[in-house]
Amino acid sequence: MRGEMSVIVRTIARITYALILVFGFYVILHGHLTPGGGFQGGAVVASGFALLPVAFGAAAAKRYLNPSLMRHLEEVGSLAFLALGFLGIGISFFYNVLANSGSLFGAAVPFGPNSGILNSAGTLPFMNWAVGLKVMTGLMTIVLVLLIGAGKEGKD
Amino acid sequence: MKKAAVFAAFVFVAAFLLFAAGRLHPFGEPSAPAMDDYFLAHSQAETGANNVVTAIVFDYRGFDTLGEATVLFAAILGVVAVFRGPREDER
Amino acid sequence: MIAQEIVQVITLVLILVGAALAVSFKDLLASILALAGASLLVSLEFYILQAPDVAIAEAAIGAALTTAIYVIALRRTRRKEKE
Repeated sequence: MRGEMSVIVRTIARITYALILVFGFYVILHGHLTPGGGFQGGAVVASGFALLPVAFGAAAAKRYLNPSLMRHLEEVGSLAFLALGFLGIGISFFYNVLANSGSLFGAAVPFGPNSGILNSAGTLPFMNWAVGLKVMTGLMTIVLVLLIGAGKEGKD
Repeated sequence: MKKAAVFAAFVFVAAFLLFAAGRLHPFGEPSAPAMDDYFLAHSQAETGANNVVTAIVFDYRGFDTLGEATVLFAAILGVVAVFRGPREDER
Repeated sequence: MIAQEIVQVITLVLILVGAALAVSFKDLLASILALAGASLLVSLEFYILQAPDVAIAEAAIGAALTTAIYVIALRRTRRKEKE
């Protein structure tokens, strides 16, 4: 098939693809505990997805990834982030209403080194998910649209 | 002539950067630490996040993150507008 | 402490070497890969300077996504630079 890279690249892409995705989702989901967050994790996931069209060509990637769906998911992520910012509008924009409330993600953490309590930080995990969805689908849209647009025009 | 100009520009930029590097603050000693100390002392109690960087990015400076999200959105809009190609009914 | 400074100096020199190679290569695919290597070393330098957040972002965007976009762009143009 045209646009495919060599068998070495395809084999390495098949092996590392899943590992990169798992690491990216780990960075997003643990954004309020470990280094990283929505933007970094989303970029890692997008780079894992970008491996697919680069290694297997645009035609194979178009079967699995839909740029239009990606663009709409990016808008969903943006709107979710904005809505989470408006959640605390009663006190101030981006006020953390869920922190230390005892409900979902509302556990208080002790002062000092990282205690590793996953059920903490209030709205920050939700914002991490929203920004992660937004960044991963947004960067994926850029790569896919460039790939499809570059493959369409001109014949040489 | 052109090569001499390029070389002069290279020397000027390199000298400028080396001069700036020599006058950097020592590593780990910021010049105005009051804000840093406040974040390190209060962010765990106020936001409940163990990761202080995330607490600053999404809570204290959430508005900046919103601006960054807007920049990314505008970049994607530009790429899609340029590389979209003609629609089916425009061909 | 002194070992960390030696690692830093080696990393910075390798970044300079990678950047110079990226400019001087005539084969543009090799140039892109040199740029990705320099970017990965910049990410290592961020990690040594205790900024793991920036290191992850730099490794993902600078080393992976930029390389992917350059490779995509290279498919539509010449592989060799004209002298």
